[in-house]
Amino acid sequence: MIVSRRETVVGRVLLIVLMLVTVVPFVSLFVTALHEPGTYPSGLEWPETPYWSNFVDAFQAANMGALLWSSVLIEIGVVPVALLIATLAGFALGHLRPPGHRVIFLTFLLGLTLPFQAVIVPLYYQMRDLGLLNTRWAIILPLIGLYMPFAVMWMRAHFVNMPEDLSEAARIDGAGTWKLFTRIHLPLSTPALSSLGILMFLWTWNQFLLAVVLVSDPTRRTMAGALGAFQGQWGTNVPLLCAGSLLILTPTLIVFLIFQRQFVTALMQGALKG
Amino acid sequence: MSRTSGTSRRAVATASLALSGILALTACSAPGGSTTDDSTADGGSTASGDFTCGTDDVTLSAYIETGFPLATALFDEFSAQHPNVTIDVREDQFAVITQNAPRVLADDPPDLMRLPQVSDLAADGLLYDLEDAAAHFGWDQWPGSQLEQMRVDENGRRGNGPLYAMGLNFSMTGIFYNVELAEQIGMTEPPATLAELDAVMQAAKDAGITPMAQFNGGATGGLAFPLQGLMASYGEPADINAWTFQQPNATISTPEYARAAEHLQRWVEAGYFAPDVNSLDYSMMMSRFIDGESLFIFNGDWESGNLDTQMPGNVGFFLVPPVEDGGEVGAMSAPLTYGISARAANPECAAYFLDWVATNDQARTIAVEIGGSHPMGPADAFMPEISADSVTAQTLAAGATIGEDNGAMEFIANATGAIYATSWTPNLQKLVAGEIDAATLLATVQADYESQIGN
Amino acid sequence: MSATRTTGTSGVRGAVGTTSHSQEDRRRALRARRLRRGWVALGLVVPAAVAYAVFVLRPLALTVQYSFYKWNGVTESTWVGLDNYTRLLGDARMLGSIGNALQLIVYFSFIPVILGLLAAATIRKFATSRLALVSRTVLFLPQVIPLVAAGIMWTWLLATDGLVNELMRAIGLGGVTRAWLGDTNTALPAVGVIGAWVALGLCLILLLAGMSKIDPALYEAARIDGAGAVREFFSITLPSVRQEVGVAVTVTVISALAAFDIVYISTQGGPANSTMVPGLEIYYLGFFSREVGQASALAVVFMALVLAVVLPIQRLTREDAR
Repeated sequence: MIVSRRETVVGRVLLIVLMLVTVVPFVSLFVTALHEPGTYPSGLEWPETPYWSNFVDAFQAANMGALLWSSVLIEIGVVPVALLIATLAGFALGHLRPPGHRVIFLTFLLGLTLPFQAVIVPLYYQMRDLGLLNTRWAIILPLIGLYMPFAVMWMRAHFVNMPEDLSEAARIDGAGTWKLFTRIHLPLSTPALSSLGILMFLWTWNQFLLAVVLVSDPTRRTMAGALGAFQGQWGTNVPLLCAGSLLILTPTLIVFLIFQRQFVTALMQGALKG
Repeated sequence: MSRTSGTSRRAVATASLALSGILALTACSAPGGSTTDDSTADGGSTASGDFTCGTDDVTLSAYIETGFPLATALFDEFSAQHPNVTIDVREDQFAVITQNAPRVLADDPPDLMRLPQVSDLAADGLLYDLEDAAAHFGWDQWPGSQLEQMRVDENGRRGNGPLYAMGLNFSMTGIFYNVELAEQIGMTEPPATLAELDAVMQAAKDAGITPMAQFNGGATGGLAFPLQGLMASYGEPADINAWTFQQPNATISTPEYARAAEHLQRWVEAGYFAPDVNSLDYSMMMSRFIDGESLFIFNGDWESGNLDTQMPGNVGFFLVPPVEDGGEVGAMSAPLTYGISARAANPECAAYFLDWVATNDQARTIAVEIGGSHPMGPADAFMPEISADSVTAQTLAAGATIGEDNGAMEFIANATGAIYATSWTPNLQKLVAGEIDAATLLATVQADYESQIGN
Repeated sequence: MSATRTTGTSGVRGAVGTTSHSQEDRRRALRARRLRRGWVALGLVVPAAVAYAVFVLRPLALTVQYSFYKWNGVTESTWVGLDNYTRLLGDARMLGSIGNALQLIVYFSFIPVILGLLAAATIRKFATSRLALVSRTVLFLPQVIPLVAAGIMWTWLLATDGLVNELMRAIGLGGVTRAWLGDTNTALPAVGVIGAWVALGLCLILLLAGMSKIDPALYEAARIDGAGAVREFFSITLPSVRQEVGVAVTVTVISALAAFDIVYISTQGGPANSTMVPGLEIYYLGFFSREVGQASALAVVFMALVLAVVLPIQRLTREDAR
């Protein structure tokens, strides 16, 4: 490839600038978190005495342990169930294709561009009538339903692309539908499943609206919802708010950095297929 | 795909048929039919008329405003005196509480809650009726003006009817000034007229000091404070009370109030507020004032205790001066309102707490020293000693002046449940941005007020 | 949530079928098995369908139903027909929120996509270098964190004494500094900047992936013909990534229209409603003013708006893909 030196330099500089723009807000958050509580520090000024204690205070004020546990519980409630039922439906609609599968699939697609705000008001009253307001179920159950359009479409797209011969061969060997699914198709679906799992994990972790509306106790919310509550309570104490925000961000960042390749792949596929 | 477009069109048709089927299934009954019984009735709780906290362990749930230590200090003292009572506290900023109030009272009922304006909440049956408690504790023997803002009649108007909330104390607003800065620009005593106040602010501006660091950002239109102060100087406090209590045909779109709003607009145009007034929040304002960056703040005596601690001897207070020397003055004065959800688990114990706050000597001391404002309760009740040169002493004295002039007003932001968030705040922000003028401000708010009352 | 195009793979399938001429019995047995398998297959769809029906379709239908009532969520409701819709059409605040959402598309979508295109076209030449690989991780950070966190960070950066103003003063632009989120003229663009910051990384990497699939021979040929970087971009790069551009636009447009988290945290819709968006207004109406019917009417209009904007984009990209 012919690449001029000037172009490479320009490209590298551009890339570094973009990365700086991305990272500086995080740095600013960190520096601000080290200032004296209750002050309004300006710019990226390093404090005379860094108040590392802000992180301890924020950890206690935000009740971080309880928040993490709550988010984990919600993830456990949402992701495996949503994965399972979406896979079953995707297998049926994409591979078995029973009569009416097109209608069913299109009905699922209806919900694909639906912003959550469009259904939040009735969801609130539905949850109230079920007596589930202010419990984690108020986040878990609707999320499973709300993920279905994307998840079913995703898994269907995967199973549609599986070669027919594979199943024919298995059928001839006398395998029933169940065996066909568990022995042949499921093992081949690991990449699709893990990407979908990562996406749903992230969406759940970062879900804000449902948490804010349906659960008032921050220790029963998702991480994003808890951060919203933290802001609502400590928003006027900027250094403490920044320390708390960083703490709440940290688990996500750690998980991301460990599984970064999978995350990037999942998000890209999510956008492309989506 | 084009090959199958015929099929897919048919499929779409069938799918929408299926959807309309679901629609038909759900659409058979109107919302809000059967599920509402317990929330409109007087509560899931059974009032026994025994207004104590008993001797068994009780946990009161409380939902309070962040940033003000008074409630927590009272809770601590109460728990110390009543070891069987634990108080479980949730805190939010006032704007968040305002947004959450109806939802929390109905579906996550606290025993004690910091309340915004009560008329809608009471009319919707979300608040515990405190009439029995008032009779039991003798609250009806107190000066009537302390409680009238929390009484709501059957038409949802305030001023009369059953009592739906209580104050932890009652506060009053005016102008705090930085004594050092005031001396620097030659202000030796509080201005006696509005013209003098204008002159002082101009002097501060000329000296490079922000004359008034008012907050007006986000969901909090803090310019309502100076506006109301000006309204009281130009007009009659009684007319404002008629408006805030939703009396028939009350209006703020009058020539007197237009003059007051124009005066505020002149302050805006003269640059007497900070240039970023539309993004300043309350605590930023406090921080700037305490750091000596501005001469004035328009605020309430709930900060007196705090200011006495943070800048001792360096703070003064005065009421918004009259148009002409010697004229009558007015001030916003309101109880720090706390109520009990109609569905609260421990309403009697919560009511007992509210009485304790007004009658216990220790609690009254906390109300003054930490809260900065006058305690609720009988006129001759115990008062703690306060150092004469503190700003707390000045605000309490100003409270007495207001009492003599009959100048106490309910806050214009409390006229309806939504008027502050949906009308005052955005319109005051528009006034600052120069998008509307003073007359339009009042006319718009009046129109919103009428449509909200009509609701 | 992400948006979607249906993948066009299902058309081919019907052609594959059994062709053998067998006995009548065998065919009947086959059909019976098909039928049984059909029921099994429908059974497999049931759990997903139930979750979807209860938590999406039912609330959706209820939103439509509520929109014809006046209801405060507590007491009895009254049927008001189309009143909520006519009120919406005369309400500056609700209409303004829709206008603001449309304006946000510029910032949440157009800017990151255009910037992403330019940057990707410059970077693609060393897309496999260590720097480029590190950048994939770094530029993805805003995608991973909650939008709430992005809102908190940027509220502080854009404040009166924030870093943005500090930098401007440093480069001699002290005259234009202001509280970006607190000025009715700049608040919406400032919110837009936050959204652009979030979306830029995703757009860039998506487009970069698309560009890496372009045959290098095309560029070599263009160079030999004496084409400059600009002509190269318009005649080779851009046409090759039309599909990726479509995807990036769809995803970001939906995030612009459905903006909630960032606005809720940074401006609450203010000052003077200049950043009010439909998602936030639905929340205020539904849960603060408790005008449930009005909130639902706005939600219905809001859904229609999303479909009206997104479907044409979908159509365009699908045609491009063919």
